[in-house]
Amino acid sequence: MELKLLIPLRNLSRNRRRTLLSLAIIALGTAMIYAVRGYVDESLLNYRASTVQQFGNLQIASPLLWAEKTENFQYLIAPEKVAQIVKILQETPEVTAYTVQLTLSGLAITERKTKVVSATALEPQNQALDYNDLVVEGSGLNPNDRAKALIGRTLAEELQLKPGDFFTMTTTTVDGAYNVGPLQVAGIYTLNNAIAEGQLIFLPLSYGQVLLDTAGVAKVIVTINNIDDTERVATLVQRKLAEAGLDFEVRTWEQLAEFYRQIKSFFDILFGFLTIAVSVLVFFIVLQVLTLSFLERTREVGTIRAIGTKRYQVFLMFFMESVFLGALGSLIGIIGGWIVGQGFNTLGIGWTPPGALEPIPVRVRLELLNAIAPFIISTVATVLSALYPALHSARLNVVEALASK
Amino acid sequence: MILETRNLTKIYRVGKEEIPALRGVNFTLEAGDFVVINGPSGSGKTTFLNLIACIDKPTSGEVYIDGQPTSQLSEGQLAELRKRKIGLVFQTFNLIPVLSAYENVEYPLILLGVSRKERYQRTMALLEEVGLKDLANRRPDELSGGQRQRVAIARALVTNPKLVLADEPTANLDSETGKQVMSIMRRLNEEHHVAFLVVTHDPMVTQYAQRTVKIRDGQLFDGGRTNGA
Ligand SMILES: Nc1ncnc2c1ncn2[C@@H]1O[C@H](COP(=O)(O)OP(=O)(O)OP(=O)(O)O)[C@@H](O)[C@H]1O
Ligand SMILES: [Mg+2]
Repeated sequence: MELKLLIPLRNLSRNRRRTLLSLAIIALGTAMIYAVRGYVDESLLNYRASTVQQFGNLQIASPLLWAEKTENFQYLIAPEKVAQIVKILQETPEVTAYTVQLTLSGLAITERKTKVVSATALEPQNQALDYNDLVVEGSGLNPNDRAKALIGRTLAEELQLKPGDFFTMTTTTVDGAYNVGPLQVAGIYTLNNAIAEGQLIFLPLSYGQVLLDTAGVAKVIVTINNIDDTERVATLVQRKLAEAGLDFEVRTWEQLAEFYRQIKSFFDILFGFLTIAVSVLVFFIVLQVLTLSFLERTREVGTIRAIGTKRYQVFLMFFMESVFLGALGSLIGIIGGWIVGQGFNTLGIGWTPPGALEPIPVRVRLELLNAIAPFIISTVATVLSALYPALHSARLNVVEALASK
Repeated sequence: MILETRNLTKIYRVGKEEIPALRGVNFTLEAGDFVVINGPSGSGKTTFLNLIACIDKPTSGEVYIDGQPTSQLSEGQLAELRKRKIGLVFQTFNLIPVLSAYENVEYPLILLGVSRKERYQRTMALLEEVGLKDLANRRPDELSGGQRQRVAIARALVTNPKLVLADEPTANLDSETGKQVMSIMRRLNEEHHVAFLVVTHDPMVTQYAQRTVKIRDGQLFDGGRTNGA
């Protein structure tokens, strides 16, 4: 007991400056892993939320649309098929809401300028997706609106359009005919994404159908009650569709949101790399410090071995010292990381990621569950760095150790 | 017979050169003896003591501790023998700096698995015998050289060993303190009936011996018995 606790703890306090240095390195590493994990988690949750807001949980469409074989508009879902799908959704209790959408592309034309745009024609004020939330100027789309549109901030600037102004949209109908329709700007939205704001416009579904000259829709968008159930419900709905003989394919938000997937894998790689780099750094610095510190005790080791301490007991003393060092350093790191994270969360310091138009506040998710991994990683790195020096000390030749220094 | 060496030799090899440090030493020590081996620097004193302390292996010959031959014992068995039968006192005191005087003396008892209560009694008894009861909580760096060596003596005796080995126990002390330390050792030798073997180049130390043995060039020459001081 005393050998494993008292002596290692005392030895930690014998060279304060060196112990503090080790603790600082370990704590810094731990804090970094903990805080960055918290930031990554928080960011991913935000991206997830905004992705789901944009895509819904599930989307049902023709395999042709998913395969991007859209030239002949054969992917369009006829009204009676939509009714069949809706029936299935209504019989699925996990489904909270659904809506249909049509997408079209063409040119937005004003007196001065012409720009290629893509339009999402949607049911205004549906239960599933609320785009009116995004409106920063003017008003959203109402169920009775016909030839109205929401345009992005960037597009509004480029075309010099304000709410109430008119522009013209040209498209090709499903039969290949040229079609032109006037549109009035109802409101200006923001997505904090330069590309989207520059080319994506929203219009009422009914008007989109007029422009394309069709009664069909491109996809059915579904929201469900629990995002963690997405996969399960997707499989369920897919099975029901197959049973009803409907050749449609369900995609989950995660499959659709390429951006989210890219961000997630980028973050995962970044975080993995950081974790490895930090562990390796902690390992080598602590290795340096402990090697020196253990070597300085060579004669002490000789003494206690001479009076009957076994090799494994010597090893254990050094080993436990590193366990305490690692655990203490990691604990300090968790507390430090927590304080830094809280600092960011309270101060609301922001940064502007590439492609964004406005700074996003840096927020750190400080769940204590997330502290376990960094704690273990840093402690293990410390203990690993002690293994070789501890083994070396345990194996010292007693006579030589006694004669040293 | 608590200690016997038979034809003990130790040859150090440095590169191709052979340095004979001990040349066939035969030596015996009875229970309760107080023997001083006296010889000049480089005569083989430390080498001899290390072999008896079972922390070094002879080139040939045998060391018997309490009648038991030691050359065939494993590393673990030797550690076991050291902690049960031998007490060590070093020239440089060799206390554990992070432990108090009390804890230093207590340490071998922890190795032996003695209960906390008994450890307390035995440790305090020995600290009292060396006159350091009141300084029990001091760390080694808060003690004088003489006090440190007394702690080391208490540590060597706390396990009730059969034999205490001391290598130049007075070399790092002034002569007055050295004498005090020697007389404490002598007193404990009589009170505990434990054998002491002290090696030294300091002639003063021989005053305390029951028997003095001279060592020169790795060989012993019996200096005869005295009654000590
Ligand atoms: N590890 C070693 N390698 C080589 N030679 C050694 C080694 N240790 C001791 N010797 C040699 O063996 C001889 C005896 O050394 P030892 O240390 O036993 O003498 P000593 O009587 O203790 O001397 P001192 O009074 O200086 O402590 C010396 O010639 C010494 O140089
Ligand atoms: Mg010597």
